[in-house]
Amino acid sequence: MIEDSTGSQLSGQLGPGSGGLGMVTKQQQDDVGQRPQYSMPGILHFLQTEWARFEMERSQWEVERAELQARIAFLQGERKGQENLKQDLVRRIKMLEFALKQERAKYHKLKYGTDLNPEDLKPPVFDRKDDDQVDGEPALSSSINSNAQWKQGRQLLRQYLQEIGYTDTIIDVRSARVRSLLGLQPVSGESDADGPQALVNGEQQPGKRDIQGKRVALKKLQGTGPVDSELIDTESAVMNTFDFLAGENVVDDDDENLSDENEDGMAADDESDERLERKGVKIKVVGNESMAGEELLDDPETEEALAEFDFLVTESEKKDASSNAEWSVDQRHISELKEQYKKERKGKKNRPTRSALQAMLANLGSEDDLPGFESEPPSSPPNPSEADEVDAGMQSGGGLGFSPARKPMHGSQDEDDFDGSLGLGELAGLTVTNEADPSNYDISAPKEVFRKTWNAKYTLRSHFDGVRALAFHPVDPVLLTASEDNTLKLWNLQKTVPAKKAASLDVEPVYTFRAHVGPVLSLAVSASGEQCFSGGSDATIRCWNIPSSNIDPYDSFDRGVLADTLEAHTDAVWGLSIHSTKTQLLSCSSDGTVRLWSPGTKSPLLNTFTAENETGVPTSVDFVRCDPSQLVASYTTSNTYIFDMETGKEILMLETRNNSDNSGSNQINRVINHPTMPVTITAHEDRHIRFFDNNTGKMIHSMVAHLDSVTSLAVDPNGLYLLSGSHDCSIRLWNLDSKTCVQEITSHRKKFDESIHDVAFHPQKPYIASAGADALAKVFV
Amino acid sequence: MKMANTAQTIVRRNRPGTKSQDWCNWQDESFEEMDSTLAVQQFIQQAIRKDVSKVEEILTPPDGQDEGVWKYEHLRQFCMELNGLAVKLQASGECNPETCTQMTATEQWIFLCAAHKTPKECPAIDYTRHTLDGAACLLNSNKYFPSRVSIKESSVAKLGSVCRRVYRIFSHAYFHHRTLFDEYENETHLCRRFTLFVTKYNLMPRDNLIVPILGDQQAVEGESEA
Repeated sequence: MIEDSTGSQLSGQLGPGSGGLGMVTKQQQDDVGQRPQYSMPGILHFLQTEWARFEMERSQWEVERAELQARIAFLQGERKGQENLKQDLVRRIKMLEFALKQERAKYHKLKYGTDLNPEDLKPPVFDRKDDDQVDGEPALSSSINSNAQWKQGRQLLRQYLQEIGYTDTIIDVRSARVRSLLGLQPVSGESDADGPQALVNGEQQPGKRDIQGKRVALKKLQGTGPVDSELIDTESAVMNTFDFLAGENVVDDDDENLSDENEDGMAADDESDERLERKGVKIKVVGNESMAGEELLDDPETEEALAEFDFLVTESEKKDASSNAEWSVDQRHISELKEQYKKERKGKKNRPTRSALQAMLANLGSEDDLPGFESEPPSSPPNPSEADEVDAGMQSGGGLGFSPARKPMHGSQDEDDFDGSLGLGELAGLTVTNEADPSNYDISAPKEVFRKTWNAKYTLRSHFDGVRALAFHPVDPVLLTASEDNTLKLWNLQKTVPAKKAASLDVEPVYTFRAHVGPVLSLAVSASGEQCFSGGSDATIRCWNIPSSNIDPYDSFDRGVLADTLEAHTDAVWGLSIHSTKTQLLSCSSDGTVRLWSPGTKSPLLNTFTAENETGVPTSVDFVRCDPSQLVASYTTSNTYIFDMETGKEILMLETRNNSDNSGSNQINRVINHPTMPVTITAHEDRHIRFFDNNTGKMIHSMVAHLDSVTSLAVDPNGLYLLSGSHDCSIRLWNLDSKTCVQEITSHRKKFDESIHDVAFHPQKPYIASAGADALAKVFV
Repeated sequence: MKMANTAQTIVRRNRPGTKSQDWCNWQDESFEEMDSTLAVQQFIQQAIRKDVSKVEEILTPPDGQDEGVWKYEHLRQFCMELNGLAVKLQASGECNPETCTQMTATEQWIFLCAAHKTPKECPAIDYTRHTLDGAACLLNSNKYFPSRVSIKESSVAKLGSVCRRVYRIFSHAYFHHRTLFDEYENETHLCRRFTLFVTKYNLMPRDNLIVPILGDQQAVEGESEA
């Protein structure tokens, strides 16, 4: 109806200034014709008051309309935000479901044998994530959908904004957005950069790191505590979600604080709601946030603008008083003043500030209305400015707070920077970055890990003879090696010597452990990283307190480094395995026994295990990681037994021997247990790696893994990858799911017919290592 | 694998489970058959295992062997085996920073430990450890000894100083821990082998060889060598 009235007015008015008068005359004549009793001045006065009333109402409608449209835009944005939040939650639920399915599939697989659920979509799913991640695209299709919807929504929003004349303020919106992004973005960029690096060690790390990155990106305020420390396997995916949620909560809190700080009491509720929701859907909800941001940011300026308008009003009133006849000119004058003011503001700020925009808005409005106003009767001067006032009042009253605290953050210098980009792009231009944001929040699966190729980075030269065993420190980039030169050495990978060929770095050992009188054959590092244990051909097990990795290599002799010597075996100690939580140590020796120790106690030998009717000697031993009361030991006869540690009796014989095509020389060189599944993996002299079910003893899988005997095995901490070393001079990385070789690296040279003695995964960091008969150890990243 | 399947082929491996007495207990391989880059080390270790007391044989290079590599590999072997003496000194507690505050052999010299930025008067046990660690670093240095197959002449020159330093471990043990020294020497004949080695390849001046290990033998050797 406003439109109508405006329209009729416009059409009814032929020219500014004179049109109004002519019309009045017509009306007057009509009135005279109908009601002769009225006097002309009375009628005129009546008409004038009527007109003034009408105009007043009109501007009130105008205001109302603007108000309602703003409300619509706001609600629209809110709806979008809610939708996004919902989608996000749905996505997360899906992910949780997926993780659960995966877990079930795994469990099923382990429990009932090799049958893999055909629906076990794990690799493809991860691959897809992988691709998505790499491309910087949102990881899940649902989020892509949501993005499409977003664009739509944004378009709508934009339309609305345009309708209410907010187009110019969008610039502001965007600059606010940029600012808020710049507050976050650089950090998230860092986290992205961190990502690939962290990803290499399997699934858990990347997830964790990513989450941390995200937290950082969101100005992480609180640690999410213990959760990160123990993410394992697919659990990590689930945990990630939780962590992520936690992270979000943190952010929400953060935001509430911010809004509390920055907003008027009146505005606080609305605002925090909106911001909450915005965070809920993450930065995707651009429109919403930017609106909020803009309104937040610029309100002080709005106030200023208001003040300015007050001045204008008074001035126009003065003019009005001085000459009624000039009334129609007043409007122009006002707009001129506004223009001037705008320019001033521009000059001051280099950027159309809120107030300037308000002024422009008002200008635009009044210009549109100008013909109408020009014919206004003199009694209505305050109206336009009143409208402005109301408009502005609506802005601040509509829950759009006042944030002096924020103002210093956005210096004009910054604003300059933003203007450059702002001037150019479309609203959509910015949001591209935002669309990329959600990918930051995706539950990160191992992305790089599938494409990761390990490259030799460190060469550890210092041993004089073959390196028989190596083990990483549980946390630090520190490695221990045990060699046939009777020593063990401690290496700090962060203390490198620049090598001639830049491709790899040489490391010098920081400490040499001397005590064994004969080759050191086996090695284990305690879970705390404070102690290590070495077994030698001298039949002893030495317990060492590991010196600091930053020790001076030429420090004076500390007798305390050799903490203890475990003596009970009567022949070479070939295998050691340390319990992941307790300080319990398993050893196996060519004297035919397997022993359980509790180092550091008065009578450290806890138990001795010997298999009945076993003619061979144990070659390797490991704890059953899923059942802490069991151990598994393999023998030179290619038998493998699971022992109960309480009773000391064997409870199961794995069918390792049945599968040997060459029973004579097919000894097992290494036996390890999967960290999370009841699966035993054996490395055979006949080039095979075999997998057995700990519950049934049946073979799950058998594969020719190398060109020569397999000597060593290691499973990454998440249980996804297997690393094997062989006397064929190569180490191979296997995907435990598909049992396919992911990478082969030729690593060491032969000495006699031996090449690689041991391989290891770093428990936390993306390092793998191999120990060679050529007296070298190599670390790959 | 072809070798494993052929019964006649000997696979020379110390597989897990090998008893200590069976360590490297395999038929000798002729130097010509050794195709490994570590053939020289293999050859030396094989000779040592065969009979550790026959030091001359151990020190006799195969025909056409590059002398630099030969010396280098021997020195590696010496340093490695000297670990055994260091362990003995260390484990006995006889040689500790209280009893042997300085690295001395005869009263004539105090040896300063070259492992530090400024040479230091380390206690004997530290001197021993530092010298062996330093030797391990030098002999494994990618800069000086990037290859074990061919060695630069400039790097061969480094061997002399390593010899001089590690020899002090023998001399200290001999003059201060005679029982340990004798025990060790009986097992390994290491000092004798070392003395002969440095003499043969002229890596140390003769008057530095203060341990009278060759004794009458030295005369005999000297004559036969001459």
